[in-house]
Amino acid sequence: MRIYVSGLHSGTNPQPGIGIARSLRAAYPQATLVGVEYSSRSSGIHWTDFDEIWLQRPWGELSLPGYLGQIRELLDDGALWLCGLDLEIMLLTGELGGHPRLLVPSSEAMNAIAKPAVPAHRGLPVEIPPFLSTEHPDWDLHAFCRRRGWRVWLKGPYYEARRVYSWPAFNAARQELSRTWATERLFLQAHASGYEETVALSAYRGELLGCVRMRKRDMTEESKTWAGDVSEVAPEFSEPLRRIVRDLEWTGGAELEMVRDLEGGLWLIEWNPRFPAWIHGSTLAGTNLVGALVEAATGEPARRTEAVSREFSRVVLEVPVRPGFPLPSHPEPRAGAFGHSLKHPSGLSVLAERLHGSTELVGENARKAAGNGRPASRRNGKHRGVPGVPTSFLEDLQAQDPGELQTPAWLFFERTAAELFARAAAEAQRLGSGPTRVVNAYSIKTNPDSRLLGEARRAGFLAEAISLLEVQKALSVGYRPEEVVLNGPGKWWPSGELPSEPLHAVFCDSVADLERVVAAARRNGPPAQRVGVRLRTPHVASRFGIPIDRPEAFAALVEGIGLLPEEIPFGIHFHMASSNIGVDRWWHLYDSMLRWCAAIERVTRRRVECLDLGGGWFPDDWEGGFDGRLEEATLRAREALPHVDQILFEPGKALAQPTMALAMRVLEVHRSHGEVEDAVVDGSIAELAVHYLQPHRILHRDRRSGQWKPLARGSARLLGRLCMEDDIVATDVDLPGDVDAGDVLVICDAGGYDRSMSYVFGRG
Amino acid sequence: MYSVEVRPEVRSETEIGAAIARWRQWPHSSLSHHDEACCAVAREWVLAMDHAELHGGPALTGPGWLRRKHEWGPSSWPIHWCEAVERETLDCGALAALTHEIYRSRGARSFPTQLIQRYSAQNTDHWERRWREASTPVQWIDGSLIYHEACAVVLCGEEIGIWDPSACSWVRPDADDGYATTRALRVLTPDGGAPERFTWGSHCVVPGAWHTVERAGGNRV
Repeated sequence: MRIYVSGLHSGTNPQPGIGIARSLRAAYPQATLVGVEYSSRSSGIHWTDFDEIWLQRPWGELSLPGYLGQIRELLDDGALWLCGLDLEIMLLTGELGGHPRLLVPSSEAMNAIAKPAVPAHRGLPVEIPPFLSTEHPDWDLHAFCRRRGWRVWLKGPYYEARRVYSWPAFNAARQELSRTWATERLFLQAHASGYEETVALSAYRGELLGCVRMRKRDMTEESKTWAGDVSEVAPEFSEPLRRIVRDLEWTGGAELEMVRDLEGGLWLIEWNPRFPAWIHGSTLAGTNLVGALVEAATGEPARRTEAVSREFSRVVLEVPVRPGFPLPSHPEPRAGAFGHSLKHPSGLSVLAERLHGSTELVGENARKAAGNGRPASRRNGKHRGVPGVPTSFLEDLQAQDPGELQTPAWLFFERTAAELFARAAAEAQRLGSGPTRVVNAYSIKTNPDSRLLGEARRAGFLAEAISLLEVQKALSVGYRPEEVVLNGPGKWWPSGELPSEPLHAVFCDSVADLERVVAAARRNGPPAQRVGVRLRTPHVASRFGIPIDRPEAFAALVEGIGLLPEEIPFGIHFHMASSNIGVDRWWHLYDSMLRWCAAIERVTRRRVECLDLGGGWFPDDWEGGFDGRLEEATLRAREALPHVDQILFEPGKALAQPTMALAMRVLEVHRSHGEVEDAVVDGSIAELAVHYLQPHRILHRDRRSGQWKPLARGSARLLGRLCMEDDIVATDVDLPGDVDAGDVLVICDAGGYDRSMSYVFGRG
Repeated sequence: MYSVEVRPEVRSETEIGAAIARWRQWPHSSLSHHDEACCAVAREWVLAMDHAELHGGPALTGPGWLRRKHEWGPSSWPIHWCEAVERETLDCGALAALTHEIYRSRGARSFPTQLIQRYSAQNTDHWERRWREASTPVQWIDGSLIYHEACAVVLCGEEIGIWDPSACSWVRPDADDGYATTRALRVLTPDGGAPERFTWGSHCVVPGAWHTVERAGGNRV
């Protein structure tokens, strides 16, 4: 019996070849085992269970048709082939599928287990974590991440995943994975938190030969198994699995990677079409799934495996290098750079690109089997994903005469602003219909434009200031002192600007600030109708507010509150940007803050009468009312703090961001092979100061029709006018083929901190 | 060179029986309260902090943050709430008492739990020296067996899990032999309201009674 086994690399993220070989050796001591590899850097070629090594050139060099012919000859001569590489399986099943000696699933079965939907999972007691293809507009991808608390993964089409914790991190990971796997077809998937476990199975022509459950008991930093326990698969899992295997006519090994959450629910992360690297752990526990597969395929009885232990652990071993396979030369360190480029030495990423069919003639079946791939490169054209743009944006743009614009020019979307402020006011009125008044407060720093402050005032908002200059700005547009909330660490700057009448509320940023306010109140009367404290969010890094995550700090806060004269109503403020930490995490933070407020009430015996909630909400999240959560939040606040008579919401960014856009003109267009590569514009990052923190929808005005059209994701860049390397206003933009100098582009969603933090640069 | 000797040979059941007899009268640990603001503030801090640390997760999630805040080690008793939150080091009894209060505040059904666990003689010798150096009692050590405290929480119906706040993990009901295994346990129900029996893995545990974990071969098959 001659058995070829591929996927031999043995590192901290090992391939299964060595485990397969060990189990084969246990089942068939006399078999000739041939290790198949595509790089002499693969450590597994030195493993002693292999009688021979069949070392091929890396995938980038191999003639695929010729190689497939060689394999077919081996199989025709009676050899068996066990794949340890997903991409190799895709290649072989597409071209040689159905050969009785090739022990891999069919192309159809491969499609049924494609990530991330894994259509074959139906019937199993598992769920698939929510996911979204990166072919969707950036606007939608940002929303996906926000709504899952930025606890998401960006995953490659076949291998690799990157934790995404912010929009810049997403963009960096996307660039890296797209480049590695030569595809734009990546996907975001929500993180499933819990204990990792897997089910490994062996099947031949639709018959489930056996399966085991393995719980990871120790893992590498990449979450790869280092130790585990092996047990039987529960019937409620194995029975539907048996039906699925039958329906798919599965042949070969497989591994279902799952996470069991803390409430017992199972989340299916991946269905791999091969044995897992820990497969010999199953053999040690008495179930030799590899032997069972070969026995079913050949009819030759496998030697019975003696069970040794139902738990296994890995160790690191030094083994002698196989004669005839000296270690390859170590690559020279890259001059002026860090490290060596040793990842994927066998060229798996090149195989992925070749399987996509863009550079190589392989059969259609192989391309189908590699279903996650797609002609990928940015050179090859446009991608899906045109973002939706609110109608009011387009209506506001109709009021502009592009020919008259002195670009770069800030555009104020008057109609959009009026609608947003009016809706926010109506919502506050609705929420505040009970015993507790709900009031909006416009955060002046978000965008101090007088038109926005005027809209806020007309809509009944309070003004929230972080300095006395901002207080004066509010007064200048007609606010009265009693309508201004003062917050922040430097709120008393500059001195001499504090109005003589009390403000609406003041929230102290430190115990020292509180003591100063108390002292001033005793001397001159309270500076505000309400005085409170800002709490620093525990577990979410912040420099603001009074810390509460240490018992002594909490005790100091309690003591400080005790100094506040009883006749001054007391309030609590907390602020953390929902767009940064994600919607769910923000709401948990809100619940947590109510818990802290109630604790403060109990130990200080001071009633919390005012609750000020700073949000940093993304406009779409705020506009949707968080699916009723705002209403629920006000109810919960009343339950937790029965004396609260005023809740302040601070929807600054949520309202300001959509109300302004930056218009810019194309100065020149760079083309290569007829495709638009870059356009230099007269706008810059000086106007869009924090453009990298969130996606922006971009509109292009068609010169012929005069219509504004949103741009999809593409491959061009918008280069700012500044002579600065990082002045790249936007990347991956699908500019029209006829874009030309003089065309006007409008960068939307820039009315928040993009506008307020913009600076003067490069203007002489 | 450090070595851990774990002998798989059968230990006489009488040894476990003797240990149970030794620790039968031991009450579970609980924190004292000064009935003043110091302890009230400390208690409120612990419970609010736990809510924050839970991140919206299930109420039965082990409060692992306690072990990130406090080292495990010798502690002199009694311990008041205001002292517990300030101490860098807490023993298993203090950690279990805090955990019990936390679970109760989350609305979980929690029960103080006493364990007899087996370690190696090298370990227990080391602990004995460490506890003596801190002038704290060492009666919780008996050869390679130790008295330990944890917290049982009802998962569903009669089924319990046992959270070990010192190890920061759930006690394995299926590891019945060898190093760091539980050889006997007692789930206490001081506040009543417990069912007639609990199930813990494949074990049937009667509240208030010591239950010996029978050897079934551990991970050997």
